[in-house]
Amino acid sequence: MTASAERAPVLPEGSALGWIKERLFRNVWSGAVTVVLIPVLIYVGYRAFVFIFINGQWAAVSRNLTNFIMGRYPRDQTWRLVAQMMLLALAFGAGAGTGSGTARDKAEEAGLVYVPPTLAGTLRRFWSLIAFVLVLLVMAGSTGPWLVAGAAVVLGYVGWQSWRLPRSLRMLSWLATALLLLAGFQVVSGTDGMAWLPVALAVAFAVWLVVPVERLQAVMRPVVSLVASLAAAAVVFGVYQVIAFPGIGWDQWSGMHLTLWWSAIVSALAFPVGLLLALARRSNLPALRYLATTYIELIRGVPLITLLFMGQFILGFMLPAGTNLSSISRSIAAGTLFTAAYLAEIVRGGLQSLPPGQAEAGQALGMAPTTIMRKIVLPQALRAVIPAMVGQFISLFKDSSLLFIINVTEFLSVRGIVHAQPDFRVIAHAETLVFVAVGYWAFAFAMSRESQRLERRLGIGER
Amino acid sequence: MSSDTVPATVYTDATRAKGEVIIELDSVDKYFGDFQALKDINMRVGLQEVVVVIGPSGSGKSTLIRCINRLEKHDRGTIIVDGIELSDDIRNIQVVRRETGMVFQQFNLFPHLTVMDNITLAPRQVRHLPKKEADDLAMELLERVKIPEQARKYPGQLSGGQQQRVAIARSLAMRPKVMLFDEVTSALDPEMIKEVLDVMVELAEGGMTMIVVTHEMGFARAVANRVVFMSDGQIVEVGTPEHFFTSPQEDRTKLFLSQIL
Repeated sequence: MTASAERAPVLPEGSALGWIKERLFRNVWSGAVTVVLIPVLIYVGYRAFVFIFINGQWAAVSRNLTNFIMGRYPRDQTWRLVAQMMLLALAFGAGAGTGSGTARDKAEEAGLVYVPPTLAGTLRRFWSLIAFVLVLLVMAGSTGPWLVAGAAVVLGYVGWQSWRLPRSLRMLSWLATALLLLAGFQVVSGTDGMAWLPVALAVAFAVWLVVPVERLQAVMRPVVSLVASLAAAAVVFGVYQVIAFPGIGWDQWSGMHLTLWWSAIVSALAFPVGLLLALARRSNLPALRYLATTYIELIRGVPLITLLFMGQFILGFMLPAGTNLSSISRSIAAGTLFTAAYLAEIVRGGLQSLPPGQAEAGQALGMAPTTIMRKIVLPQALRAVIPAMVGQFISLFKDSSLLFIINVTEFLSVRGIVHAQPDFRVIAHAETLVFVAVGYWAFAFAMSRESQRLERRLGIGER
Repeated sequence: MSSDTVPATVYTDATRAKGEVIIELDSVDKYFGDFQALKDINMRVGLQEVVVVIGPSGSGKSTLIRCINRLEKHDRGTIIVDGIELSDDIRNIQVVRRETGMVFQQFNLFPHLTVMDNITLAPRQVRHLPKKEADDLAMELLERVKIPEQARKYPGQLSGGQQQRVAIARSLAMRPKVMLFDEVTSALDPEMIKEVLDVMVELAEGGMTMIVVTHEMGFARAVANRVVFMSDGQIVEVGTPEHFFTSPQEDRTKLFLSQIL
């Protein structure tokens, strides 16, 4: 419609007839296409309307909303999911707020005008998700879910207020966001079986915090970061021994809850692995290069479904006897190995897109190869491949539906539970399928929109 | 060309004599596959000397100075920079690179960093300078190249001439003993060439040792202590600017000068 406004001069002001002539019947061919397409569209629209509002047996969905969301997760532990939702709402709000604050700092430093995100912009990015949640709430038809959703929105807004924090608190604010995310995870998983996760995170954070210390001599850095990470791990482990908060391990998660976490965890694990593989493939050391290339080409030649099966049946032979990994853990390993290979190729593309002059400038200044990689090459290369990487993550998110073949009840296979019920054994198969499809789409579309924004925001100051 | 009121910045090292040899090339050969880019190059550059290298395109000028900081690896002969012989030892190479600044034809500024961060990155990462000191140094250098007001901008927001001056400041931030200039005005619009050349003239007047690959004959005439003419990977003729531009000896030099002047 905005395009037609730009053409306004050639058309009579506000003439509907003019618009129709210009847009639909400009010449014989456009007229012919219009004549064929309009009835088809009207017919399809009519059938969709009838299906959605008249014939559709949506009770199969509305009576099973809890199943779709949490699948086989123990119902007496639902409070954990609610608590998780609250913590994550706070964490996402805080992350967005802190990110916005950081962007503002940078813009101010560069003397640029910072345009704060608007509510309208946020709605435009996340409308698919918001619409999906509203559909869920309407279908649920009780007040409880509305209260939970309302509380989540309020907490998200509270977290968002972190953009007001002064600059000196920005690092602390990021740390708080990370801790909230972690708390959100562990309020469901508990601390017993999942202690390795915070330990791993603490190690990563300690290393990240220590490595940039510029006054340290190059040789001292690995030593210091090793000590720091061991100390961080010890502290976290000690704290978890004291808290000893029992939980529901992810082998009991299911439904949309599992689908979302599985995709997020695999994405987070596959990114660093893929990055290292990409660097190894471009390494000067032939052994490393051949190993990485072989790995990437092997994995990319195998369907994910095969890897998931192999994870179940072959991983056991390769692990020490007595190790008992759950199906979910095995599938996370398989998904990570698979996605890392694809991410490696994407990152390699980004590395190759940089003009050689960038690395040469670093060399000419006497920088070490790792510094050139960390400070010059990677920041630019990764930014260039954000769309491709997000595409890979979206694809992974949808591929999580393959988990049904190893008997994991993820979002799509909740349909199995629904259609085992006597009421829906033969009917409403299309309805549940449409519902699940819309659910996947709502998340995937929001991811795609968010990646476009991220790309724009990181492009600050570039031509 | 420098102002009389402002005292020129001094780039000399008081402990060392002018003319002391700092760069030494002996029978240097360089191949790209079967193509020989440098043939038996012998050259000495003394402290505070400005050497201008000219010659037709493809004659090996850029390759020559890129060998001096090992952006290209030479195949035969020896290159010694400030007493350090260039070999495969990466530590030697990095020491040499810290002492030799290089400015490129395409600027090669880091587009994801502000002007300030472009300049302070190497001093902080390589020399481990604290942020405050690095920032002060950067501001001082930006004033020297006359664009302190652009410190917080990104390279993409600057004109070509401004970008090239930032690139010069970025090299100077490592406090190099030698500066290498690789056709630094060739990618600039004509009206921006002078602002970059002015900065280079001031550097030369401050006593910086410089090797300049350029097509700017005016600069060569005015600033060079020596002009080196290269053709087909060889040094054909070396001389003072007056000698070189008024009475060249070699036929190839005469032909080249007749084509460009």
